[in-house]
Order: sequence, then C-alpha cells, then structure tokens
Amino acid sequence: MSEAFYITAGELAARGADNIPEELVSSKHLIYSSPATLDFNSPGAKGFGVKRAGLAIPGSVMLLVAPACCGRNTALLNELGYSERFFYLLLDDTDIVTGRHLTKIPKAVKELCGELDYTPSAVMICITCVDALLGTDMERVCRKCEEATGVPTVPAYMYALTREKRLPPMAAVRKSVYSLLKPQKRISNECNILGHFAPLFDNCELYDILKSAGIKKVRELSRCKTFEEYEQLSRANFNIVINAEARYAAQDMEKQLGIPFIELARLYRLDKIQNQYRLLGQAIGAETDDSKYYEETQKTIESFKNKYGSLTLAIGECVNADSFELALAMVEYGHGVSEIYGTVGERNFVFVKRLAEISPETRIFSNLSPTMLNYERKTEIDAVIGVDALYYHSGIKGVEFNDEKQPFGYQAVKLLFKRLSKELEK
Amino acid sequence: MKKLLKHISPLAPDDSGACSVLYELGGIVVICDAGGCAGNVCGFDEPRWFVKKSALFSAGLRDMDAILGRDDRLVSKLAKTTEQISGKFTAVVGTPVPAVIATDYKALKKMAEKKTGIPCITVETTGTHLYDRGEEAAYLALFKEFAKEKKAVKKGKVGVIGATPLNTGLSKADIIAENLKKKYGDVVCFGMDSGLDEIINVSECEKIIVISNSGIAAAEYLKEKFGTEYEFDFPCIPEETLEKAVNLSGKKVLIIHQQIAANVLREKINGCKVDCATWFGLDKSIANENDVHIKNEEDLADIADNYDVIIGDISFKKIVPRFKGEFVDFPHFAVSGRTAK
Repeated sequence: MSEAFYITAGELAARGADNIPEELVSSKHLIYSSPATLDFNSPGAKGFGVKRAGLAIPGSVMLLVAPACCGRNTALLNELGYSERFFYLLLDDTDIVTGRHLTKIPKAVKELCGELDYTPSAVMICITCVDALLGTDMERVCRKCEEATGVPTVPAYMYALTREKRLPPMAAVRKSVYSLLKPQKRISNECNILGHFAPLFDNCELYDILKSAGIKKVRELSRCKTFEEYEQLSRANFNIVINAEARYAAQDMEKQLGIPFIELARLYRLDKIQNQYRLLGQAIGAETDDSKYYEETQKTIESFKNKYGSLTLAIGECVNADSFELALAMVEYGHGVSEIYGTVGERNFVFVKRLAEISPETRIFSNLSPTMLNYERKTEIDAVIGVDALYYHSGIKGVEFNDEKQPFGYQAVKLLFKRLSKELEK
Repeated sequence: MKKLLKHISPLAPDDSGACSVLYELGGIVVICDAGGCAGNVCGFDEPRWFVKKSALFSAGLRDMDAILGRDDRLVSKLAKTTEQISGKFTAVVGTPVPAVIATDYKALKKMAEKKTGIPCITVETTGTHLYDRGEEAAYLALFKEFAKEKKAVKKGKVGVIGATPLNTGLSKADIIAENLKKKYGDVVCFGMDSGLDEIINVSECEKIIVISNSGIAAAEYLKEKFGTEYEFDFPCIPEETLEKAVNLSGKKVLIIHQQIAANVLREKINGCKVDCATWFGLDKSIANENDVHIKNEEDLADIADNYDVIIGDISFKKIVPRFKGEFVDFPHFAVSGRTAK
C-alpha cells in the first residue's frame, strides 16, 4: 500500500508547470472523494453548486431534468429553505438514449408554473451529463418553455463531464444567472461586484474604497431581494470581477450590456493587496487611500506573531483562498507551512515557484488522489486552515475559513487571524 | 405528469444501492461517472463515508472519454490504483454516462481482470432506477463471483442480506445482530461490519434472513446453489414508530416503506386493516391483495385518501395535502436521508 503521494514545493517548481506529476493531474487517475472533492468535483454538490447557484435570480425556480441520481443530494438544500424552489423531471432508460424527454420539458414547466401560487421570475432548466452527451440544444427547449408559459426560461448546465473545459459548469451558471438582464441607461457612479453567490462581508474595505472614489451604489446579485433589484444590475457603469469563474459572465455582460469589467483577485499578501487597490484606482480614474486598512492589518499580523510565535500550518483548498497564495502569505509573515492540499495548475504555479524559494520543503498533496485514502500525518503541524485540512487533522486546532459570505482584501486577512486566534485560545 | 416530482427530492438511485452493498467489502470500487454521481453517493447516500474508510472512487470521466469510449483509460486508472491501494477485488458501478454510450461491461470486466490480476465485478446500474435494483444486482454479482464453494454448515449461524444504510438507516450492524441473536446463535450482516470472507463463506449459514426486497434474488440464488433456506424479517423498526403502530386500533392503516420492512411492521399491528405500499420493488408473492406499488406523487395522493393512518417517512406528508388523518413517521434513509436514532 502506497503512502499518500506528495511532492515538495522545491521539487515541483524544478519540474515546471508542464511536467506536473500524474498524481496531481485529475485526468490521470481515479478520483478520491475527499471533503474538498465533494465541494467541487461534483458540480451540484455542496455550498453553491450549479443547482443552488442557478437559483440566484430572486423569485426563480429550478426544474432539474435528469436521472434520479443527479438530483438526489438536492435534499441537502432543503434545510437551507430551497425545498419550494426545486422540481424534478426524472428521466428513464429510454429518455437518456433517445432524448424523448426534451418534448416533455415545456409541458412540465407549464404544469409546475400552473400549480405555484405565484408566477416565478424565471425558470432555470438544469441539465446534466446525459444531455451533454446527447448534444441537447437547451436554448431552443427553453424558448419553447417560454412560449408555453410566458415565464423567462434559462438553461443551467450541470455538465460534470466538462469540468476542465473552457466553460466549466460553475462558469456557465454564472453566465446564466446574469443572462436575463436587459440593456438600460448606465449610471456613472454605480458598479457591480461579480464572482460569488453570497456577498462580501459587510465590513469589507472594498465598499469604503469604492465609496471614497465616488461610487454611490455597489450592487451584488446575492444582495438582490427582488427581481426588480436584480434588473438594476444592468445600470452599472462597470463590473468588478473578484473570482475568475465570473470572467465569462462579465465578458458576456460587456458584449450584451456594454458594461466593462475589472478583475481583482483575492489575495492574502499585504503588498499585493495594496498594489491591487492602487491599480483599481487607476482603472476607475480615482485616488484610492487604503493606508488605514493596510496599517490595521499589519498590526493584526504582527500581534498574532508576537502572541503565538512562528506556527507551522497545514492549508487546504476547501477554504476562501487560493491555498498556494495563502501558504505563500503565511510563510512571508514568518510562519511555516508544512503541508498544502490543493490543485496545482497554470493559474497558481507562480505561487508554487515563489514558495519553492522561501519554503522548498512544503509538501504538496492532491485531495483528488486515491492515495489520500492512506494519508497519515508525518510532519509537525500546530494549526490548520480549511475544511479538508481539518478532516485530515481532526485532533489539531484550526479554522474552516470557508464561510458562504466572502472575505476579501485586508478584511479577509484580519478575519483569518482573528479566527485563528480564537481557536488557539481555546 | 408522471415523472414530475413537485414535493420530494429524488429517491436513492440504483448506483447508490450498489455502492451501499459493496462499501465495506474491501474492494476497489469505481463509480463510472464524471464526478457528480460519486458526489451524491459519498456526500449524501453513504452515511459511513466519513466514519469508515472505503476505497470508493469516481472514474473522473470527461466528455472525450465518453464520446470515444475510452474504456482502456479507465482500466489503466483502475490498475494504477490497485498498485497504490490494497484491494481484494475491483468493482465498476454504472451511471447514466455508460448507459448512454452503451458500455460493454463484460468486456470491461475481462480487461480489468487481465490488467489487475484480481477479480472484477460489474454492476450495470444506470442512475435511472431506484436503489433496491442496484442492491439486488450487487448482491447477486458478489455471491455469483465469490461464493463458489459449499462449506460445512455451522449450526445457529445466520446471514443477513439487505443490511445497508439505505434500507435501515443504520451504519453499524449491532442493533440487527442483537435482535436476531435472541433467536439465533451467530449473526453476520453481509456488507455491514463484515467483509468479503463472509460472502465467500455464505454456505456456512444455516439460514439467510432477508430484510429487504433487494435481497430476495440473492437468497433465491443461494437456496438453489447451496440449499440454504431463507426467511424475511426486519429487526430494526425504530422504537418510536413501533410503539405508535402497535397502539393503533380499529383504523385503516397504510404503511409506506420498502416491502419487507412494511410487511414486518404490519404483522405487529392488531385490530386494524393494514395495507402496504412502496415506491420500490413490490414482490407479488409476498404482497397482500391490496398492497400497491406507488408510481408517482399523484398516485400516492390518491391512495392516501382511503386511509385513517399513514405510517411512512415524514417527507411524504407534503405529497398528501388532502390527507387529514394521523401520520406516523417511519424514517427511510433511501427517501429522506435520515439516519436511525
């Protein structure tokens, strides 16, 4: 029996982004369902998977058109109050081979709209691997549904088969949920934040920085309570994209609504956050002063270090951060990172390279590797960050740091250290 | 519409049933999917996932694997895993993807056995049927593959087929074993707190106890092959349900569960007219005249009108808004995902 596979940051950087070992490449091995895998490998699973995300439009309902197995875990969402918004058209063996179910969808949408005691703002039709293989033209089926009911109908593609394609399911659903917006007069001092299906924490400095730059109204889809509020998203002068999975939606909004966008990343290194805010100011043509937030955060980092000394951490990917960037930040702040459980790719290899310079012995594991079934701790760890890291190290203090509300900027750094302090005090 | 669910989430599918049977047997089990089906199994239908380790993996299929039918890649991945994880056998569980592309499971089995050198079983589930069908297929495949030799019968030893979380809400066999030990000496629940050796040695059992419809076909097979007799029981009815049920009197009662559980509870109720209904398999040879198979939500709503009391998973209550009688909760994990207390 093999030990859990790992490679050190130094070794990985030396191999280069084009020579990542097969154990870290998900298409080269079977997939282990670690907690992190359950979060993202199954696009309908936990948190905001395609199914829940598809209901981000206020007042919408979803019809999942799929074999029973695809909708089974939707019961998890019932506890979150979604039970009245999900409906299922189950497919049988003949449907999945012949595609005859497509003719039943408009009838099903009509029936459920007729039985609801309100008119939904939209019906999301969620389809799965079966229709991916059948090559279903769901846009056409949705038009038929609209003709039958008068209710806007939008596809949501839960195609697990295409997870590594140009438009993976979680990017496609972001496009879907903004697709009902209509062009209108844009207002120069209004903007949207795109990226997640829950809002930023209320005390995130990004709101204040935008306000000081003259932005009067900042909208987020997840804060829209009504369809009317949702419709106002198309008044924005520009979009701020804080998650790369929303880039395609932003590009589509630029094309359809004429709203340009700026991309910001969630970072945990102070100098990078500062630089990003400077660039944001330049992009929107305003002076941004983030010195107050910078200094506060620096103090938080220093006082944590003074109190707890240099800790050795393990960092997972089931966390509101890029695990490699967060690890890099922690090492730069004077802590050690002995293990990372994450997915390495082109996007974050730059962090691996930097990590190799300052912490070459950091071990990198893949949550998806079958060998993780044999994982045993072999390094010293004082505290852990991430749901998956906590799963591997149940006896060690740590924080999940995986809230639905999204931490960002300096606020994210402060919150992380605050949470860690609270846990270490216990 | 017949296949439209407006009040409940889909019931546990056949691939979950197959995995539930195979979970503790020490094999390397591959769900032949892109990730979503494995997510449903490990993240929802398998309550043992975070408490008992099992080599249960997703094939991680991508669109071109399916379109080009790249079974050789799946077999290579499987073989690689057998070098990393010890497994007594391998198993491939079907989902809608192989169903759409008509995967040849017999060829897959041969290829896997040749490449890994260990036995492979395949369960041709499609994700479109319910869990009992998957369990049935998995039990049959297991006994056919591994229970080949007739052993000396051990007096007092009984084997339980159907002990899965989906049928019982239990993740451990202790309650079932304790209750059956009142009547028998040695109790083994196949696939729950027991491994592949007990499957191999099934012919040692004096008797087989079938606690779910999903075990009938396997029990029939074992009867034919080894002459082992079987009988039905469901030794894990929740106390709260049982207490309320046995206190009923003079009522028309409908019990909704898997057929064996419903039948066993019916036997314990006196002074009432009791019928059983199930969304899952209904074996006519063990059904009473008025027992019914529930086809869809509308069907259940109509059936419910004829009864004073319904005993079934509480999640069904939403389906029967016209029903004004008493509803007694009889949890069924394959319906609501609720584990036994």
